[in-house]
Amino acid sequence: MVSFDPTADFFQIFALDRGYALDRDALERRYLELASAVHPDRFVGAPAGERRLAMERSSALNEAYRALRDPVRRAEYLVKLGGVDLDSSDPETGAPRPTQAFLIEMIELREQLEEARGDDDAVDELRDAIETRADGALDDAIAALGRGETPAAARALVVHRYLRRFLEEVDGDD
Amino acid sequence: MAYSDKVIDHYEQPRNVGSLDKNDDTVGTGIVGAPACGDVMKLQIKVEDGVIKDAKFKTYGCGSAIASSSLVTEWVKGMNLEDAEKIQNSQIAEELSLPPVKIHCSVLAEDAIKAAIKDYRKKHGGGDEA
Repeated sequence: MVSFDPTADFFQIFALDRGYALDRDALERRYLELASAVHPDRFVGAPAGERRLAMERSSALNEAYRALRDPVRRAEYLVKLGGVDLDSSDPETGAPRPTQAFLIEMIELREQLEEARGDDDAVDELRDAIETRADGALDDAIAALGRGETPAAARALVVHRYLRRFLEEVDGDD
Repeated sequence: MAYSDKVIDHYEQPRNVGSLDKNDDTVGTGIVGAPACGDVMKLQIKVEDGVIKDAKFKTYGCGSAIASSSLVTEWVKGMNLEDAEKIQNSQIAEELSLPPVKIHCSVLAEDAIKAAIKDYRKKHGGGDEA
C-alpha cells in the first residue's frame, strides 16, 4: 500500500506546498494516483482490518481533495492550520466574533430584503451588491493568508460566511 | 436532523416576532451572532418599573435558533430584570430537547437576552444596578 500518513495535513498528502495558490494539475494527478492505490476495490479479498483501513484512507483522501479543490474551503483550511477553527464557537480557538456594527447590518440587510421581495430588480440589485462584498471578503482573506495573518484571514472568512448565508436566504425563500 | 415537537411548534408559529423602537428609553436591544454558522439574532425587551412588559425577536438562522429566541421572549415577559438575567442556555436546551449539535443555538438566545438587559441598563445609568 502507498505511504499514507494519517497525521499529514491535506497539503502534505498531495505533496503540495502549503498556501492558497495551488498547482491544480498536480493536485488532480496526485489525487488520481492515491485514489487508485487506496481504492477499496483493491482490497476485496484482503483481511477485514486492511479493508477497513482502505475505506478510511479512501474517505480521508476524498475529504482532503474536496477541501483543497474548493477555494473557500481551502482558505478556511489554511486558517485552521493556523490555529483557528471556523466551525467551532470556542471563544479562544473558534470563529472570531464579528463586530456589533456588522451584526446590526446583517439584521438590516434582512429587513431590506423583506421590503424588496416582489420587486425582482430590487432583489437582484441587493444580491449583486452582497455577492460583490462576499467576493471581496474572500479576497481579503486570501491576501491576509499571503501575509501569514491568520486572525485577519479568519475575520474576513467569518464575514464571508455571514454574507453567503444571506445570499442563501435571498435565493431560498420566495 | 429531527427536531423536537416543541422546536417545530416555535418554528412554525414563532411568538413575538418583530421589532421595538431601539431608540426608546424603555427598550433594550441585544444583537448577537454565531460566527460558525452565520446565524444572527436580535432580541428586544420593553421594561417598566424593572419588569419586562414586552419582548420581540428577529432571528435569521436554523429552526433551533428561531425556537430558542421565541421561547426566551415568551419566558421573559412579566419577569423582572434580575430573574431574566438568570436564564441559562441549559434551561432553553432542556425545554426544547435540543440535541448536542444545537446547544449553541440556546447559548445564542441566552447571550441575546443578556445583551438586551445590558443595553437597557446602559441607557439607565450604565451601572449594574437597575
